Amino acid sequence: MSAIVIARRRTLAWCAGFAVLLVALVGVALSTGRLHIPFLDALRALFGVGDRPTVLVVQQFRAPRVIAAVVAGAALALAGSMTQRLLRNPLASPDVIGVTGGASVGAVLVIASGSVPAALTPVAAVAGGLAVAVLIGASAWRSQVSVTRLVLVGVAIQQGLAAVVNLMIVRFPQELAGQALQWTSGSLYGRTWTEVWVAGGAIVAVAGAAALTHRRVAVLDLGDDSAGGLGLDPRRARLGLLMLAVVLASLAAALSGPIGFVALLVPHVVRRLAGPPTPATLALTALTGATLLLGADYVALNLLPIHGLPAGAVTATLGAPWLLWLMARSERRSLT
Amino acid sequence: MTSRLATRGLELRYADRIVVRDLDLEIPDHAVTAIVGPNACGKSTLLRGLARLLAPTAGGVTLDGTDIHRIPARTLAKSLGLLPQQPVTPEAITVEALVRLGRHPHQRVFSTWSGADQEAVERALARTGVDALRDRPVDRLSGGQRQRAWIALALAQETDLLLLDEPTTFLDLRHQLDVLDLVAELNADGGRTVVMVLHDLGQAARYADHLVVVHDGALAAAGPPGEVLTAELVERVFDVPCRVVPDPETGTPLVVPLARKASPSSVH
Repeated sequence: MSAIVIARRRTLAWCAGFAVLLVALVGVALSTGRLHIPFLDALRALFGVGDRPTVLVVQQFRAPRVIAAVVAGAALALAGSMTQRLLRNPLASPDVIGVTGGASVGAVLVIASGSVPAALTPVAAVAGGLAVAVLIGASAWRSQVSVTRLVLVGVAIQQGLAAVVNLMIVRFPQELAGQALQWTSGSLYGRTWTEVWVAGGAIVAVAGAAALTHRRVAVLDLGDDSAGGLGLDPRRARLGLLMLAVVLASLAAALSGPIGFVALLVPHVVRRLAGPPTPATLALTALTGATLLLGADYVALNLLPIHGLPAGAVTATLGAPWLLWLMARSERRSLT
Repeated sequence: MTSRLATRGLELRYADRIVVRDLDLEIPDHAVTAIVGPNACGKSTLLRGLARLLAPTAGGVTLDGTDIHRIPARTLAKSLGLLPQQPVTPEAITVEALVRLGRHPHQRVFSTWSGADQEAVERALARTGVDALRDRPVDRLSGGQRQRAWIALALAQETDLLLLDEPTTFLDLRHQLDVLDLVAELNADGGRTVVMVLHDLGQAARYADHLVVVHDGALAAAGPPGEVLTAELVERVFDVPCRVVPDPETGTPLVVPLARKASPSSVH
């Protein structure tokens, strides 16, 4: 049996494991709350089976939040994995290179205006993320897409936008500032079915498109000259695929606010578990991201003594030490 | 002599610097062509131009009479394969997975891996002698084995023309010869047209049917090594006074630099 087949089986085994874990976590999250619902009843109620109060609580109050966490987590992880691979930089991710910052500015502007309906917040977030992507893309297109330059420009934009968001929050009237602050800390609180259907549907579509491009990404991994020799315009292909990643990250931000570290962390976890990227590891990436964000939200909601802590705070608490460790390790590697 | 790949008044630039100027070239079909010249003469740039990796600022490159920039990239990649000078080996990729990527121009977004694809990969693995290494990570192979794996990728592409940019760099002498023998076989049994950039004039003279000498971005000479490689040309292009003698093994021209006056520091 060839190594490719063995690697694929191992990846599929991990996929199955994470799928089971994810379903279990969904069941637990749906059954937990002020009204406790037994695990299986909660899962059944998700599909409208069971007595009316249970179905109402699960479908109307708990499910949107849970589904939002699953979809946003998967989208973030996929976006992070694509960004790191295309930019050949293990520290690149949408929340590092400014996309998430753009989404925040978009969302906070809508909240700040007070007059625009709140349902438009996700749309504004996607628009903000895309605007930043176009900005970075334009600056990189003119130069010969130096990856370092692209990442540096992104980091600068992210920092600048974070400052803008803070400034806006400080200048807001009190009640709007509260809303904006809650959004920018990355919370899944109060998601509605409309938001989940619109953003979630878009995420599924874009993720599907991304999965179809796996061959192009693998060819780009060989370097620009080899990719060119194999009939791919490397610059155009790389920027096109990056745009897919940006749309995914912006849609995720529209659902969950700017969640840090999921996009950065999950690709490294997957690489540890399943080795170098293949089409099958894409599925594992999505499942791991979904599990991680849903888990973080569950911990924030139920297991911590502080009430109303956003999921973003949990992922950041996990992610920050991980990032430091990763940097220390890559530094050691480059020294040896 | 027939020639599918040719250039006409080709000019290539990096930023504002002209690297290749007004170059007319005909690459003979079913032959091995070696491009030689001093460092920074533009020989690798010329190869990148032939492979459509660089857009000409004047003139052009034609394949079967059509400007290669008018041929869709994927279509061109079915006729023209390329091994760049320093390809990037993805982390932990196995030899077979690497060679499979050579099938990219033959696949569409929705197409699945076909029997023809697998056959091409098997032929390429066998031809380059890396069959037994197929499950090994490429980044753990020796330099010679790794180069063979990369050549296998280009073979899996199943192109009539193969461009190799300094395929022997970073290899020791034995592995240099292994790679050059492989190139000679690829040409001999498949009738493949091979164009390669080489550093060593002796190896170029031994392994090439056709020599292209580039000097300061312009064509200095082109033709069979026995006719092209003269003492006068080597002195003019490489600035090295020399004698050209028949290679005692093959009879091809061998460049022997004249002994220089011993430098003062070595006289005691």
